[in-house]
Amino acid sequence: MSLLALSDVTIRYSRLTAVRDVSFSMDEGEILFITGPNGAGKSSLLRAIAGVTPVAGGRIDLAGHEITGQAPENIARLGFSMVPEGRDVFGSLTTEENLLVGAGMHARDRGWRSRTADELEAVYATFPMLKERRHGQAGLLSGGQQQMLVIGRALMTNPRLIAIDEPSLGLAPNINDQVYERLMALRAQRQLTLLIVEQSSARAMMVGGRMILMRGGQIVLDGDARTLGNGEAIQAAYFGYEDH
Amino acid sequence: MSAASPTIEPHLTTGAIVAKTPRPFVLARRTIITPILLALLMIAIALLTMMTGSRPFNQVIIDVFLRVILVVGLYVFIGNSGVLSFGHIGFTCLGAYVAAWLTINPMMKKMAFTGLPSWLIKTQMPYWEAAIIAAIFAGLAALIFGRILMRLSGIAASIATFAMLAMINTIYSNWETVTGGTSSVVGIPIIRSIWPYLIAAIISIFIAWAHAISRSGLALRAARDEPTAAAASGVDIPRERLVAFVISGAIMGLGGALMAHSIGVVTPDTFYLGLTFITIAMLVVGGMGSLSGAVIGVVFLSALIQTLRWLEAGVSIGDVAFAIPKGLQEIALGIIMIIILALRPAGVFGNREISLTRNRGD
Amino acid sequence: MLQILFDALSLGSLYALGALGIALIFGVMRLVNFAHGDVIAFCVFALLWPSTDAMAIVFAGQLPWYLLIPFVLLCGAGLSVLCEIVVFRRFRKANPATMMIASFALGFVIRYFLLMLFSSRPKSINLLPELSQPVEIFGARLPLLQLITIVATMLILLGLTVFLRRTRFGLEMRAAAENFSMARMLGVRANRVIMGAFALSGALAGAIALIFVAQTGTADIQMGAAIMLMAFIATVIGGLGSLAGAVLAGFLLGAASVIMQVMLPIDARPFRDAFVYGAVILVLLFRPQGLISARGTKERV
Repeated sequence: MSLLALSDVTIRYSRLTAVRDVSFSMDEGEILFITGPNGAGKSSLLRAIAGVTPVAGGRIDLAGHEITGQAPENIARLGFSMVPEGRDVFGSLTTEENLLVGAGMHARDRGWRSRTADELEAVYATFPMLKERRHGQAGLLSGGQQQMLVIGRALMTNPRLIAIDEPSLGLAPNINDQVYERLMALRAQRQLTLLIVEQSSARAMMVGGRMILMRGGQIVLDGDARTLGNGEAIQAAYFGYEDH
Repeated sequence: MSAASPTIEPHLTTGAIVAKTPRPFVLARRTIITPILLALLMIAIALLTMMTGSRPFNQVIIDVFLRVILVVGLYVFIGNSGVLSFGHIGFTCLGAYVAAWLTINPMMKKMAFTGLPSWLIKTQMPYWEAAIIAAIFAGLAALIFGRILMRLSGIAASIATFAMLAMINTIYSNWETVTGGTSSVVGIPIIRSIWPYLIAAIISIFIAWAHAISRSGLALRAARDEPTAAAASGVDIPRERLVAFVISGAIMGLGGALMAHSIGVVTPDTFYLGLTFITIAMLVVGGMGSLSGAVIGVVFLSALIQTLRWLEAGVSIGDVAFAIPKGLQEIALGIIMIIILALRPAGVFGNREISLTRNRGD
Repeated sequence: MLQILFDALSLGSLYALGALGIALIFGVMRLVNFAHGDVIAFCVFALLWPSTDAMAIVFAGQLPWYLLIPFVLLCGAGLSVLCEIVVFRRFRKANPATMMIASFALGFVIRYFLLMLFSSRPKSINLLPELSQPVEIFGARLPLLQLITIVATMLILLGLTVFLRRTRFGLEMRAAAENFSMARMLGVRANRVIMGAFALSGALAGAIALIFVAQTGTADIQMGAAIMLMAFIATVIGGLGSLAGAVLAGFLLGAASVIMQVMLPIDARPFRDAFVYGAVILVLLFRPQGLISARGTKERV
């Protein structure tokens, strides 16, 4: 059974239809890029899965539970962890407090305290600079550091699936490379399932994995990123679209 | 939307109109039906009252007209600017006291208000002249307060208008030699005929309409709906807000003066939180952005209040007489308001107006 | 001089606690809660047995202090949470103006409910009379009550700070106040946080009610409105949503009121509050975001 399944999902903002009848599913351990030009409906789709944007039609299933119309906190409890666009760190909280917010929802579980401490150390081991700034205000971190913080925060929720919206947004290319490097290392280490939204398909082709290309609220292409990247279909899908 | 007439049309509020140069006469011809219908509604209510000819009912209808004036006054500012003001009843207070100062018999005035200048003590004029002066006075006060307040927006503006209301109330409650302090001011000539109130209500409706289709009113509504775009196209938002604030302040002052004449007694607390709540409730229930909503909200809630009052006084059905406890009227009013807000946050009318023409689509 | 300082601090305490109650709810929900003043009034009348007589029939007010205090705090918290569940929950997605008016209506309902049970006449009650004796400190005679007010307020503020900084629930509340939807995506339960904020705010209302009744010896339905207005103003001046700002502004307002009381000529003293309101409008003009502008309050989707 697939970990995440969308069938005929439609999202509307008053009169504007942002996403129309989108269906796809992904399996445990998979890495899936959703790419496409600005306004293709990628972020809306992610926000709908997270439960912060209402769905006008269709159905979403996560780990065997229907989550259409569920509250974001309940979806998070099923193992969906979202890293939204623009990163959204809690700027007035310290770095460590940011990480702890993510761990809070499992507080009822047995052995939570020691597990959280272990988890915290693991995140600090992956991102040593976060440890250096652990008691500093998160709002004062640089863009790249904030990106690492929100990925770390997502890890603290002990997720089955991490969705990241435009991790490259506003970051210098070399910082962005670093972010991806850590992300791929984490994936190898923890068998993470990743759903990544990017505007350009270049990164997907570089990293590999599956890629879905969206345009105008619909899926245009779905396949292996490397094969798609070499084919003519993707050229056609992007060309003639001024927005890109 | 139903195709039956009168239909509801969004014309009075289309912010986009301002983008094209408005042609005032075309716009006026297209929209004048709204105030005419509302005025006819007022006249119909008045005629109905004449036919029943009962004294208490007369007073009830006078209250309806007074509230129409006040709520239309609120609409001119809140509806067009989108800024919630809790302070407008302050202008009503100013207007009521001006009416008291100008119409009470000089002999009584000399005893009640020792601090008034002697020329004012000697003055005594007909109520309608006093009401006009009251409106001008309240408008001037709105100009002075507005110069400062209109630079604020959002919640800060709302709280500042609240501070203004509290300020006026504190001054009028304590300035004993001029306002009589918290004790009642008596001796204001009571006007029992419904016609002056009817005329004032209709005038207020037409003033509100004229403002809404004026360049200033259109610009203000455009700024309400699209603040950034309006500012970019050269709309001076604080200035247009000030214009609306002054006009609405003057209407509130007029309402205050007439209110004083309808009951013959004023105290500062008549014009405080209670009246603020009722008038805002009426505007919100009708639809904050709509003149028709303002008027119909008054009629609807007044009918409701009156029904509850009758129930409070006691009704007998068959052999069983029953009365609801005192205070339940306000409680019911509050609950109904919460329910309407929860179901229709934009009020019954939202931003639309009554009109005879077919809905041209939105 | 010392007397003035203590007057300022004790009046400021009331305003600060009131402002905190409003800021807590505003933080998580962007609701300017006009019903807060009526929750305070409700807590005052919870001390009495319903009757419309001029003489107050003290009921819960007779409890010994160690039962009385938790009782009143619970009353406030309970009513406040009830307001959330019955009314405000339906307005989560409404715009701030609609919520503000709904809270205004709710306050009205509570006020007239009290009016129905108790009539509008102010009643005198003598709560904890032993506290009104004066004590001597540094050569100044001060009412013991004033001292207790100030100490109690400091303890409440300290307790709240520890709660917000050191507990998981406090952490969740701070995260939610800054970015509500992000906090929810991390599993923070919206209802729990909002109800927590309402409960805390209601308990603060209970504390204000106790202090106020002990200080004035009267139960008056109108009293909530008076404190409330100042508390609102403090919240706005402090920068809506900033808890520290609300407390600071509350004390500043208290100080301004007391200083004006002393400095103004005798004739102008009755107008003290009018001057304070005027000063508030001026402050808003120069700092529309308040003295301390809270992060993340300006934009929220």
